[in-house]
Amino acid sequence: MNAPLAATLLRGSLSGNRWRSLLAVACIALGVALAGAVNTLHASALDEIDRAARLLAGAADYQVKGPRNGFTDEAFAAVAMHPAVAVASPVVELEAPVPGKAEALRVMGIDPFRAARLQPGFIADGAAARGGETPALLDVNAAWLTPVAMARLGVKPGDGFALGGPAGEVVLKVAGALPALDEGGPLAVMDIAAVQYLFGRVGTIHRIDLRLRDDAPREAALRGIAAALPPGVAIVKPDEAAMRTAGLTQAYRVNLTALALMALFTGGFLVFSTLALQAARRRQEFALLRALGLTAGGLRAFLALEGALLGAGGAAAGTALGLAASRAMLERFGYDLGAGFFSGTGNTFAPDAASLAAIGLLGVATAAAAALAVTRPLARLDVAQALKDRHLDLPSPPGGWALPLALAAGALAAAFVPPAGEIPVGGYLSIGLALAAAVMAVGPASRLLLDRVPASDAPLRTLARAQVKSLPGHLSAMVSGIVVSVALTAAMAIMVHSFRVSLDGWLSGVLEADLFARAAPQGDAVVFSPEAQARMAAVPGVDRIDPIRFERLTPEGATGLLTIIARPVDARLLRGFQADPPAPPPRGSGPPAAWVSEASVDLFGWRAGQEIVLPLAGRRAAFRVAGVFRDYSRTWGAVLVDLADYRALTGDPLANDIAIHLARDAEAKTVEAALGRVVAQVPGAELHDASYIHARALAIFDRTFAATYALEAVAILIALAGVTSSFAALAWSRRREFGVLRHLGLTRREVTRLLALEGAAAGIIGAVLGLASGFAVSVVLVHVVNRQSFHWGMAIHMPWLGVAVLLAAVIALCALGASLAGRAAVAREAVEAVKDDA
Amino acid sequence: MLQARGLAKRWPGGVPLFEAVDLDLAPGELVAILGESGAGKSTLLNIVAGLDRAEAGTVTVSGTTITSLGEDELARWRRRRVGFVFQAFHLLPYLSVEENVALPLLLNGVAAVERRGRAAAALAAVGMAAHAQRKPASLSGGEMQRVAVARAVVHRPALVLADEPTGNLDEANAAATMQALRDAVKREGAAGLLVTHSAVAAAAADRVLRLAGRRLGPA
Repeated sequence: MNAPLAATLLRGSLSGNRWRSLLAVACIALGVALAGAVNTLHASALDEIDRAARLLAGAADYQVKGPRNGFTDEAFAAVAMHPAVAVASPVVELEAPVPGKAEALRVMGIDPFRAARLQPGFIADGAAARGGETPALLDVNAAWLTPVAMARLGVKPGDGFALGGPAGEVVLKVAGALPALDEGGPLAVMDIAAVQYLFGRVGTIHRIDLRLRDDAPREAALRGIAAALPPGVAIVKPDEAAMRTAGLTQAYRVNLTALALMALFTGGFLVFSTLALQAARRRQEFALLRALGLTAGGLRAFLALEGALLGAGGAAAGTALGLAASRAMLERFGYDLGAGFFSGTGNTFAPDAASLAAIGLLGVATAAAAALAVTRPLARLDVAQALKDRHLDLPSPPGGWALPLALAAGALAAAFVPPAGEIPVGGYLSIGLALAAAVMAVGPASRLLLDRVPASDAPLRTLARAQVKSLPGHLSAMVSGIVVSVALTAAMAIMVHSFRVSLDGWLSGVLEADLFARAAPQGDAVVFSPEAQARMAAVPGVDRIDPIRFERLTPEGATGLLTIIARPVDARLLRGFQADPPAPPPRGSGPPAAWVSEASVDLFGWRAGQEIVLPLAGRRAAFRVAGVFRDYSRTWGAVLVDLADYRALTGDPLANDIAIHLARDAEAKTVEAALGRVVAQVPGAELHDASYIHARALAIFDRTFAATYALEAVAILIALAGVTSSFAALAWSRRREFGVLRHLGLTRREVTRLLALEGAAAGIIGAVLGLASGFAVSVVLVHVVNRQSFHWGMAIHMPWLGVAVLLAAVIALCALGASLAGRAAVAREAVEAVKDDA
Repeated sequence: MLQARGLAKRWPGGVPLFEAVDLDLAPGELVAILGESGAGKSTLLNIVAGLDRAEAGTVTVSGTTITSLGEDELARWRRRRVGFVFQAFHLLPYLSVEENVALPLLLNGVAAVERRGRAAAALAAVGMAAHAQRKPASLSGGEMQRVAVARAVVHRPALVLADEPTGNLDEANAAATMQALRDAVKREGAAGLLVTHSAVAAAAADRVLRLAGRRLGPA
């Protein structure tokens, strides 16, 4: 096929099928936009974290890092005095709440003379920006702010501002600006000793930035330094900060991207459906081109080109839409749509051109593949027959059960494939195969279902049944779009409902106390001191308090992060956490008990009875795994240990959260008011009752999945638009038939009802097959995808009412769409219609 | 120009449709084949066009034995050497009249300027030059079929095949179409073969044959 011919045919066909073409473009644009938006949000977040980490590390070759709560500053001396170390700069780093605002400011405590040797931006530009005043590098209450931090706080050099600290508000003075560090985001830099003192971190550091001597043997030096570090503290390269964050958010990112790709492939199916229906209508046109000398390969190439062009249009529109949406979402909700992975970072907009191009190309390839799939039956087109007859159908698809059953068996087998990293490759393959099986089953299942509809004396029903049975190719193309969109919608609805019911039950168990106090809803600078804990316990009406302490570290011999949850553990708590077994073991002489989350089982391979070693407070602490608990709060590993054991091992008396149990006869409102006054003495701390936290958690859950519901609605609407437009085309092609029926005595209304019945039949077949495959997909989502990527176990819970409403709506809308589409065709005079030869 | 020898075709069930059919057409000759419905007229036409396969026999056009060609070779051969006129016109609704006529030239890679000139000349020859920029939907049946005749000869084919070209037309339009077809065949020196029920249409041919009792013979 030559270029002018292709251009002429494309121009004609695209303009002659404007609405159908737009529908196909919209299908692809939707998927590309979603995938592009998710990718851009995450790329922007990682870009900012990566750039900030590199900027603040300056000329450092390596960083010594430990648990989130820090490690002893005695390690600094050992590192700094190592002969291979040229510069060692200790850093205390925390996120302090900004009073009156629901945000935190990153605070870095540095030794200015050491830090300046690695990153001059800490000092030089800052001194210049003070406008000639004496630099106050070592002032206890002086803080140097990046311009973006000053803008966020609304302050200028010389102004005062406050941050939340463990012993109340910390009032600081803006000593100057650090313009050279502005790309590091909102940041306050202070003298290290001042931060340790003001924020209760005396004796603790979080990081040591290192530069080795150029002439030092690197491997030996790294080994030597590592040997001097306490357990749980390691040497890493500065750019690993972004990698660690990427690791934490991988499951979140991969699953959102997978959701977007599902939308893209739904778009692909809808493009297939749209092009197949076009092909049915253009059957004689294609036959003419073949008769005039276009080869079968040329026709395939033309259709693939047409599909690719629609895909390119969709990809371009989708990329633009995705960029605009990600920018808007970034400004409104942050990098992670409020999921909480990236708190304290700025709002850099950094789309990744290569990824966006790849997503766009995937959109083009999907559309081209859909078009090529359409050409398969066209290759069997009998040209002479097609030119002669008035048959409206596509050549029937190959129709047995063998292919769908083989695909279904493949889907089942793929579900057992282990994940690659944390990516559930087998799960996604299984979903793809299940959907393909459902689409391939449309032909044989339609025949099976229609054969079971008993013959009737009712003329409309008889005619509708005969008509639907006579168009298997048309029916397959039309119904496949409904099947895929209903399947994905039903699958997501079942998965989300199962998750919500499971989360609801879990929250009821976990939130077993009456009230919960949280020291630092924003950041990590504020904790409850032993005195604050004692004041809460002493409030009249309080039966007991359970302090909860969190720590994040890397377990010995592993690379991933792990959260330690230290709190008083009893049988009631374990039942709440759905632990197995649900009771603590008798306390013996061996290592203390620890309960590991399902994620820890998946990621670290830990099993009940096993002894594990955790680096706590610079020491190797051994625990015996007593059981497995459920943790819907984290996608990474967690270990639950008894607070008494934790305190005995670490000597750390602080608490991040407090679970408060009231006395039976206490007047809840009075006690809550009294506790509120105690909690208010800790800046930024909050007190809520369990039902509020429960409701808020479910509200966040619903908000997170709101995008999913919107996506499902759009997929259904696109599929229904496809059904309506295909019925419109079919009805227009059948206007002679309608003329004949009206000559035979049917009214216009009855002909419209005939179309409604045919639409309903298509809707019923699509809904039944869609629900069956949707259930299969939901099982894979719940037991394979969720388990492998989020590591959350849950049971299937059917949203019966929602599913019934979905199916009824799809069938009713198919019937309505078909009857509306037929109105124009029926509007012609019967006499005129039977004479029509076009 | 066209030589068919010993052509035989069966119905799908195995019952013979026709057998031992011989056919010769000279350049500039228009031959009509009459026959009852189901006699196999259109099937014979399709075999000559390379759109259907005979169970036996050969078809040779200008020295090319098309019955030995593969599917794609046949398509390319049709593109260069065959023009079609159909009962249902088969004009592409989204192309203008001139673009429809130029379609075979487009398929053969003829340059745009030459395409336009030749399409205009072909339209002028059938009296449709004034309608060049209109869409097919705005034409009458007779006008559409004259446009189809122009399309059938615009690329100067060796063979022009017409399948019931007047089946959808009234007498006046049928006569005008047949005249246009006959003139085009004579003008281009092509061999013309038409199958029809209509004795009126057949009357425009140089020779009339009848396909009956599985055999092709004089009418």
